[in-house]
Amino acid sequence: MQKGKVKKIDTNTGGSKRKANRDGSLIGKILGEIGLLLGTIVVWIPIYYFIIGAFKERTDIVKFPLVMTFETMSFNNIIETIEKMDFFNALKNTGAITLGALLLVVAFGSIAGFALARIKRRGFKVYYGALIALMVVPFIGVLISLIRLTVTLNLYNTLWAGILIQAAWNLPFAVFLYTGFIRALPKELEEAAYVDGCSMFRVYFNIFLPLLAPVTATCLIRSGISIWNDYLLSLTVLNDSYTPTLMVAVQSFFGDRNSEYGLAFAGILLASLPIMIMFIFLQKYFIKGIAAGAVKG
Amino acid sequence: MEQLTEVKRKRRSKFESKRTWTGILFLIPCTILVVMFIVVPVINVVRYSFNEVSLADASDVTFVGLDNYKAVPQTEGFTEMIIATIVFALGVTIVVVGLAFIVALALDKRGRGRINRGFMRSLWFFPALLSAAIVGILWRIMYHYTNGVINKSIQALGGERVNWLETPWLTNGAVIIAAVWLLMGMAIVIFLAGLQSIPTSLYEAARIDGASKRQIRRNITIPMMAPAITINVLTISIAAFKMYELPWFISLGLPGYTTRLLTQRIYFYGFEATNLMGIGAALSVVLIIVITLISLIQLFVLRKREDIF
Repeated sequence: MQKGKVKKIDTNTGGSKRKANRDGSLIGKILGEIGLLLGTIVVWIPIYYFIIGAFKERTDIVKFPLVMTFETMSFNNIIETIEKMDFFNALKNTGAITLGALLLVVAFGSIAGFALARIKRRGFKVYYGALIALMVVPFIGVLISLIRLTVTLNLYNTLWAGILIQAAWNLPFAVFLYTGFIRALPKELEEAAYVDGCSMFRVYFNIFLPLLAPVTATCLIRSGISIWNDYLLSLTVLNDSYTPTLMVAVQSFFGDRNSEYGLAFAGILLASLPIMIMFIFLQKYFIKGIAAGAVKG
Repeated sequence: MEQLTEVKRKRRSKFESKRTWTGILFLIPCTILVVMFIVVPVINVVRYSFNEVSLADASDVTFVGLDNYKAVPQTEGFTEMIIATIVFALGVTIVVVGLAFIVALALDKRGRGRINRGFMRSLWFFPALLSAAIVGILWRIMYHYTNGVINKSIQALGGERVNWLETPWLTNGAVIIAAVWLLMGMAIVIFLAGLQSIPTSLYEAARIDGASKRQIRRNITIPMMAPAITINVLTISIAAFKMYELPWFISLGLPGYTTRLLTQRIYFYGFEATNLMGIGAALSVVLIIVITLISLIQLFVLRKREDIF
C-alpha cells in the first residue's frame, strides 16, 4: 500500500517534464518521418530513373531525366534490346546455371548438413569447421587458378563449368544453414524410425526432407540472388560469344553502345526483372533469409 | 545378463558404425565439389605465386621463389592501388554502417501515424537485389558529365556541374557512394534483426526508472547492438575488399591510377597483361590473407560475445 503511493507520487513529479518531452518529440517524430521519406526517395531515384528510362527515347532521357509522360513512352528500347542483346539466349544460359547450381546446392547441402548435424564424431566436427572456414575465401582471389582448372578439366566455355563452380562456392554456406537447422530439430523425430530398422537414407527422405522447406527457401534465395547476379565467373569461364549470361550480355551490349542509355536501361531492367518480381511476391522470405545468414554467420 | 548387454553393445556399435559410413557417404558429393573448385584453386594460386607460369601451358612452371612478390611494389600505380583500396574499403564500411544504423533505428519504431514499416524496409532493401555489374553501369550513366541525371539535377537546382568521373579523389567518393547504395540494404536488414532481438522488457524497465530517450539509446540500444555492429563492419569491409565489377564499371580505374583497386589489378595481371600471371597470383594471395585476417577478427570478437549470440 505504502509502496504504491510512493510510486504514484514519483510518477507525478516527473509527469509534467515527460509530457513536455513527449510534445517536443512530436516535432522530432514528424521531422524523423519526413527525413526517412526523403531518404527513401533519394535511394529510389536510380531505380526510378532506369525503369522509366527503359521506356523512353534517348533524347527524352537526357532532356528530362526524371519525367515520364504517356506521350513520350515507347517500347522501342525493350524490343531492340531483346533482339540485339540476344536476350533469350542469355536468359537461357543464366537460367540453366542458376537452376542447375541451386539443385546441386540443395541436394548436396542438405544431405551433408544432415550427416554433420546428426553424427557426433570428431572427424565430422573438424570437417564442418573446415567447410565453414572456406566461406572466407574471396572468389576473385582464386579466379586465376580456377580458370586454368576448367581448361584442364575440359569444362572451359561450357555451362557445366558455371553450374559446378557456382554450386561449389555456394555449398559451404548451404551446409552451414542446413546443419544449424537440423541440429535444432528434436532427436525423437528419427529415433523411432531407427528402432524400427530404417536406414539413414530412408530417415532423410521420409522424415527430414519434408521438414526442410523453410531452410531450403532461405538457401534458394541467398544462393539464387548471388548466382543470378554473378558477372565475374561468367565473364571469365564463359567468354565464348554464344554462352554469355545476362549480366555479361548487358555489359558487353552497353560497352558497344556507350551513349544509348535507353538500350542500357532496357538491358538492366530485363536482366534484373526476374529477381525483382520474385522479391515483390516473397519479400518476407528474402529479408528473413538475409538476416538469418548474417546473424548466425 | 552380461552376455545380453554385450550383444546389445555390439549391435549398437554396429549400428553406429553403419551410420558413420552412411554419413561419410552423404558428405562425398559436397566434398568433391568443394575440394575441386575451392581447395585445389586456393592451393594452386599459392603455388603460382611462387612460380613463373606460362600462359600457354599450365604444366610449364618454373620456381622463382619470392620474385613475384618482390615485383609487386615495383608495378605501375602500386602506391595508388594501396591508397585507393584502403580508402574504398574504409569509406564504404564507415558510410554503410553509419547510415544503415540511423535508417534501421528510424525503421524500427512502431506506432500510429507512421508509414508501414515492412513496406519501407522492402524499399530500402531493394537495391541489394541488383547485380554489382548492373549497378556499376547504372551509376556510370548517372555520373555522366553532360547527360547524367546527377549533374542535370544539380543544374536544375542552379548549381555547377561536377566532373564526377575525372577528378582525382572525388571519383573515389563517387564510387564509394554507388557501393554504399548497393550494400546498405543488407546492413539495414541485419541491424533491424539486431534491434528486434533486444527484449522490450529492457526498454520498459528503463522507462519506469525515468531514463531519457538519449540515455536509453546510449545505455541500452547501442551496447545491445554491439554484435550486429561488429558483424556489419566486418561483412561490409570484406565485401568492399572483394568488390571488383562495380568500381570498375563506374570509373574504369581512372583518372590515372587513383581508383584502381587490388581486385582490379588481380584481374589485369591474371587475364589481360601478358605473362605477368605470377604477379596476379601474388596479389591474390595478399587479398586472401587480408580477408582471412578480417574474418579472424570477426571470429575472435564474436566468440567473446557468445553469451549474446
